[in-house]
Amino acid sequence: MACLHDHSCEDHDCSSDWSLYKHTDLSKVSALNEAASGSVKSIFRAWEQRLNTSEGHLESNEGDPELLVFIPFTSDVKIRSISVVGGADGTSPAKMRAFINREGIDFSDAQNMQPVQEWDLVENLQGVLEYQTRYSRFQSVGNITLHFPDNFGGDITQIHYIGLKGEATQLKRDVVATIVYELMPNPSDHKTRSETGGGLSQV
Amino acid sequence: MVLEATMICIDNSEWMRNGDYSPNRFQAQADAVNLICGAKTQSNPENTVGVLTMAGKGVRVLVTPTSDLGKILACMHGLEIGGEMNLAAGIQVAQLALKHRQNKKQQQRIIVFAGSPVKYDKKVLELIGRKLKKNSVALDIVNFGEEDAEKTEKLEALLAAVNNNDSSHIVNVPPGASALSDVLISTPIFTGDGEGGTGFAAAAAAAAAGGGGYDFGVDPNLDPELALALRVSMEEERARQEAAAKKAAEEAGKQEKGEQQSTSQDAIMTENVNAGISEPEKKTRDLTDDENALLQQALAMSMDDASSSVAVRDTDMSDASADDHDLQLALQLSVQESAGDQSEQTDMNKLLADQSFVSSILASLPGVDPNDPSVKDLLASMQSQSEQKKDEDKAPKDEEKK
Repeated sequence: MACLHDHSCEDHDCSSDWSLYKHTDLSKVSALNEAASGSVKSIFRAWEQRLNTSEGHLESNEGDPELLVFIPFTSDVKIRSISVVGGADGTSPAKMRAFINREGIDFSDAQNMQPVQEWDLVENLQGVLEYQTRYSRFQSVGNITLHFPDNFGGDITQIHYIGLKGEATQLKRDVVATIVYELMPNPSDHKTRSETGGGLSQV
Repeated sequence: MVLEATMICIDNSEWMRNGDYSPNRFQAQADAVNLICGAKTQSNPENTVGVLTMAGKGVRVLVTPTSDLGKILACMHGLEIGGEMNLAAGIQVAQLALKHRQNKKQQQRIIVFAGSPVKYDKKVLELIGRKLKKNSVALDIVNFGEEDAEKTEKLEALLAAVNNNDSSHIVNVPPGASALSDVLISTPIFTGDGEGGTGFAAAAAAAAAGGGGYDFGVDPNLDPELALALRVSMEEERARQEAAAKKAAEEAGKQEKGEQQSTSQDAIMTENVNAGISEPEKKTRDLTDDENALLQQALAMSMDDASSSVAVRDTDMSDASADDHDLQLALQLSVQESAGDQSEQTDMNKLLADQSFVSSILASLPGVDPNDPSVKDLLASMQSQSEQKKDEDKAPKDEEKK
């Protein structure tokens, strides 16, 4: 497997660098304008599996090459570079625009907003190309939104794999974990310390 | 329980004055909107619903997506009918309102009530549909009012363009006997994509159909306290009936106090039992137990023979105590009080205290000689016990009666 790194791949295990997929919150990954709902989850894999398309790939709807992929992480990450494997026959995306830490972006927002960084992509069917980020801007990323506005002339856009390289910090963003709704107050749910018979009493 | 933000587009054009839906198309639409809002907010407390009108001077958002049902119902009040419906603009404004929802985690849905003819072409509608699909907005269309083939065709084309994985639906409601809201209740618009119906929807369906799976005609979701009170009083009634059945069995064995009393008691009890059985069937009527009790008392009074002058329930208990114990019991059975169980116990004690009654029972039992000294001792001890209890109970009973 050819690697564009300047070291020899036998010594250094490339796949460990591309391990940010382990930190993506796969259940909350979503895409807009995908033909099959939920297919976006299949494109985040280990680097060795990047050409393995048995689990499906992401396709846009007929006649509309735009795609928007929202990727949340389980903790803040630093992204060094991104790799995208597209489809053949002009279905690979031609441009990529990234937005950081913004939820609920839709196509009109994506078209009007200034992205954090933009890249012109080339057809990368073997997955050997990576696109470097301006690292200083990608230091604490809770979620990233990738917008692919057009492709190389195909009717649809296909993406087989998205790889993210970088480091994960262990910091988490504040999240409300569980919400319990009470229709009527139930005193047995709200025992004070004195009722449960424990704790020090304070006079 | 999908987390959803919904925008409802109301048609308030001139075509809504027509009376082919009762009372008129606009009112039927308003009722349907109220029901939908209730169902959505009930199915998930974080759901929000907004309302806009499509006709009149122009598309106007009456309330932005909110979970406050009161606000939504209030804004439906005082709407004016007039103008022409602008379907395309209405849907686009709805999409914009949803885009600016506060909770981005909610799924987006638009519900359109299309009552008047659609003036846009199929192409324009398909374009709008595709844009909605691209931004993953679901669309439900209620096709009612004006019926023409072109309108149906255009709406079907719109649905085909929007539909992603069967999350969008179209419902055609022709004018007829059943109300618009009743027809909608059974559709996926209410039941939410085949989740099997929320509690609200199921209750509404039950109320509409006049039958259903609830014991007392009251949905526990809608009114938990009433449902609980009805259930508790039913159980108390059953417990009392069982105790009464036991007593009736004993008294039927008694010779001197006549079949008549027991039959009258049986009659009273069968009335009670019948009432108990028929209660689950009286779903739409709110028969409280008090009304039932009065009914029972009236029946009891009509069935007791003329000799017993103490047939009125309001009579002081102390007067009756000197006379028939059995009549007392019959009265107590037919009247429901909260201290029902307590009175059972004292009745039992009184029965046992009645020497003659006990001795007659014992005489009827084979192998027991009432003149046996051990039996006599037992009776004596029981009588002294029960007298004590009797005095205790008389005092609180008298207070209660007063």
